[in-house]
Amino acid sequence: MAAPIIELRGITKTYDDGFTALSNINMTIEPGKFYSLLGPSGSGKTTILRLIAGFTNATTGSILFEGQKINDLPANQRKVNTVFQNYALFPHLDVFDNVAFGLNLQKRPKAEIKKRVLDALKLVQLPGYANREISEISGGQQQRVAIARAIVNEPKVLLLDEPLSALDMKLRQDMQYELRELQQRLKITFIFVTHDQEEALAMSDEIFVVNDGKILQSGTPVDIYDEPINHFVANFIGESNILPGKMQADYQVEFVGKTFECADAGMKPNEKVEVVLRPEDLDVTTAEQGKLVVTVDTQLFRGDHFEIIGIDDDGNEWLIHSTNPVRGGKHIGLTFEPEDIHVMRFGEKEADFDARLEQYEED
Amino acid sequence: MKKIKFSSVYLVLVFIILYIPIFYLIFYSFNQGGNMNHFTGFTWAHYQELFSDKRMLVIVLDTFLIAILSSLFATMIGTFGALGIAGRKSQRTKSALLTLNNVLMVSPDVIIGASFLILFSALGIGLGFGSVLLSHIAFSIPIVVLLVLPKVNELDPALLNAAQDLGATNWQTFSRVIVPYITPGIFSGFFMAFTYSLDDFAVTFFVTGNGFTTLSVEIYSRARQGISLEINALSAVMFLFSLLLVVGYYFVNQYSHSRRQKQRRHAKNEVTLL
Repeated sequence: MAAPIIELRGITKTYDDGFTALSNINMTIEPGKFYSLLGPSGSGKTTILRLIAGFTNATTGSILFEGQKINDLPANQRKVNTVFQNYALFPHLDVFDNVAFGLNLQKRPKAEIKKRVLDALKLVQLPGYANREISEISGGQQQRVAIARAIVNEPKVLLLDEPLSALDMKLRQDMQYELRELQQRLKITFIFVTHDQEEALAMSDEIFVVNDGKILQSGTPVDIYDEPINHFVANFIGESNILPGKMQADYQVEFVGKTFECADAGMKPNEKVEVVLRPEDLDVTTAEQGKLVVTVDTQLFRGDHFEIIGIDDDGNEWLIHSTNPVRGGKHIGLTFEPEDIHVMRFGEKEADFDARLEQYEED
Repeated sequence: MKKIKFSSVYLVLVFIILYIPIFYLIFYSFNQGGNMNHFTGFTWAHYQELFSDKRMLVIVLDTFLIAILSSLFATMIGTFGALGIAGRKSQRTKSALLTLNNVLMVSPDVIIGASFLILFSALGIGLGFGSVLLSHIAFSIPIVVLLVLPKVNELDPALLNAAQDLGATNWQTFSRVIVPYITPGIFSGFFMAFTYSLDDFAVTFFVTGNGFTTLSVEIYSRARQGISLEINALSAVMFLFSLLLVVGYYFVNQYSHSRRQKQRRHAKNEVTLL
């Protein structure tokens, strides 16, 4: 593990009116990785970003940059740059002067500024746009200018505050590829704030799931998707069927009145748990062959898959993603593998969760 | 046949009524006869008389000097005032300050003039150029604040964060982001203060004292003494000048727009060259 570039230790942030925006945030950011802060609006993810950028102060705790405490370092002296949500480009300057803003402040030689600005514009695929006014370019192009303006200063960490939220779907997907590529080419750390789970899953090396001012879970996109720590994370990241259940023994869980083999262990016998089944892990089969039988309620064509909502005999709703539509017969069977079942304990903390996972995955 | 709308007739009528007195005045400034009863023939005589009137020329220059100086100072003070008001965190303080500002805007000139007179005599400040300048600055500040404030409120705080993020100090953020952004507001504030100062009568009348006078006060006193068509000539010249001001203001407003157009053409040329 490389020496961390940014560390947040026990950060809390309380506003004057008593509102707690962040409570006990601990984060370790390693150089050269792509991180996402993922959470619903108002969860505090942007506040974390503003703390790192220096636009706001933590009430308690410390922020370390390359091992140095930077709590009191003003924003203009921090070696991080930000891409703002609404881009915050200077409307009175053209594209070139916007990108050159930071370099001009550093009083770099004219020739160097020109070269670096044009290089940065080339990097974000806007060569030849240097003399345009900001009002003359599209939202997607403004986005690129904002990125160029930040990276031209060669920051060690680039902070991105929901930079893609204002773009349309297609452009947003293109930009996801580009951002990822850019990060790998520049090899600088990206901290990307988003409420869009797909965005976070697609681009990140590591995701921090934030809600109510706390970090609920951190890990690689695959880990978080496959093994969400609690109801909130399971629901927020991807779609899921979450059911109450009971852990009968290791590798054996009971839900909807039946007992199933599963891949989870390390809990108390007969402990009440929640069970997650992802809609794409459920396979449609005949009623006779199914582990579960449901009645098809609605079926929607989503382009790349069919979204089926079925209701079982106990009245539980099941969300199923299937590549083929269900034809004839309203009763269908559902099958799944033991590994498809993910069991979540109530109120488990991330550290305990990781420890438990490690413990039974070893043997 | 195209139907003439009542609304356009009304509009034309209103403008005719508003402009007739001014044109009537200007028309008689070319009258050979000494009064405004009968137009007896065309002459430039009143204009010659006006331009050879040394005293009048000095007054004109003084008036302009007061207008330029007072609007410059008022623009500076008013701009910082607007920034200060916008910078208040509590909404109540903000609206309280704005109300205090607006009260000065709407309170009658006579009261402002009288209160300045009392203030100056209480402080022992002699009446003359200085007192007129000070009072003009004072009554122009609220106007500037009112015209600059909307621009300041429009300023996205993210822009200030962005400037800091890119390494700007507070002063650099101010000079490179805030000021350029609110410049249109500052310009309209300056022009408005300038015209207010130029045509102010009531406040000036109280604080001029002996020996110093501005155009509006001078025209008033001459008009009282009796009809002289030199006043008409002077009014015509001033009307022409205000027309020029309006046109000038229009072009200043258009300036940034045309600059953009030019740059667009420039960019296009560059692209075709590439």
